[in-house]
Amino acid sequence: MKELSLNILDVAENSVKAGAELTQIIIDETDEALVLKIIDNGCGMSEDVVRSVIDPFYTTRTTRKVGLGVPLLKLAAEQTGGSFSINSKSSAEYPIEHGTKVEARFCKNHIDFTPLGDVISSITTLIQGHPDTDFLFSHTLSGKVCAELDTREIRKALDGVPLCEYEVIKWIEEYLKEQYAENK
Amino acid sequence: MTVNELSVECSFDAVCVPDGEREISGAYIGDLLSWVMGRANAGNVWITIMSNVNVIAVASLADVACVILAEGVSLDDELIKTATKKGVNVLKSDLPAFETAMKLSGKVL
Repeated sequence: MKELSLNILDVAENSVKAGAELTQIIIDETDEALVLKIIDNGCGMSEDVVRSVIDPFYTTRTTRKVGLGVPLLKLAAEQTGGSFSINSKSSAEYPIEHGTKVEARFCKNHIDFTPLGDVISSITTLIQGHPDTDFLFSHTLSGKVCAELDTREIRKALDGVPLCEYEVIKWIEEYLKEQYAENK
Repeated sequence: MTVNELSVECSFDAVCVPDGEREISGAYIGDLLSWVMGRANAGNVWITIMSNVNVIAVASLADVACVILAEGVSLDDELIKTATKKGVNVLKSDLPAFETAMKLSGKVL
């Protein structure tokens, strides 16, 4: 992917498919590193399945024989001299606290580091496509918040208006843009 | 032209050729795998310098006729096994991508 934001979209879609009520997308940057975490409370995976999602020939879809979201994110991180990990607790083994955590660490100064890209559009695309599940987004730079959003709070304030309404999505987009502009 | 014929005519060494009689039409060059995935056409020769397992996956997904690894890049034994199992033809060339493509000129289109 030419931008990490597309990887985020791809991997967060897996969380929604896993039945997550809440998917957290957390970006913590310093001058040297960018750490991306995608954490969900979906159905999780057994150890065997975790091993196989790193394998590009594994997919939960039946329409094609390879799934590349996770392998490409892993490659993108490792190409910069960074690292990648995936931890999961399956609902079968952990009925109360289950879900998956994907963490990719990028060395920003490596020449093969892919820019983050249009993360706002990834977030609004996710919310628009899945208005009934919740997303928490947080982006920090050296510990200082650049932008954050919690759809649970927006949902409460909207009192029944679906999050996928055009005006709501537009508002979220502007809200994130303003935060980035203010915290530059 | 088939993959076997291309290998002989252009002296590209075979890394693994599970389906040497596959017909070739056209070529694509690229190293950003997600980009190649959406743009390489079925039957293309795909020239790249990347050599991880995802290359085999993208080749399989895009249904290219064969991969040519440029710049003397090769695959390790584990990847050769995977490519063979998945029916992905892989050749190699010591030349850079441009010169490798030049050798295809007039042959694969």
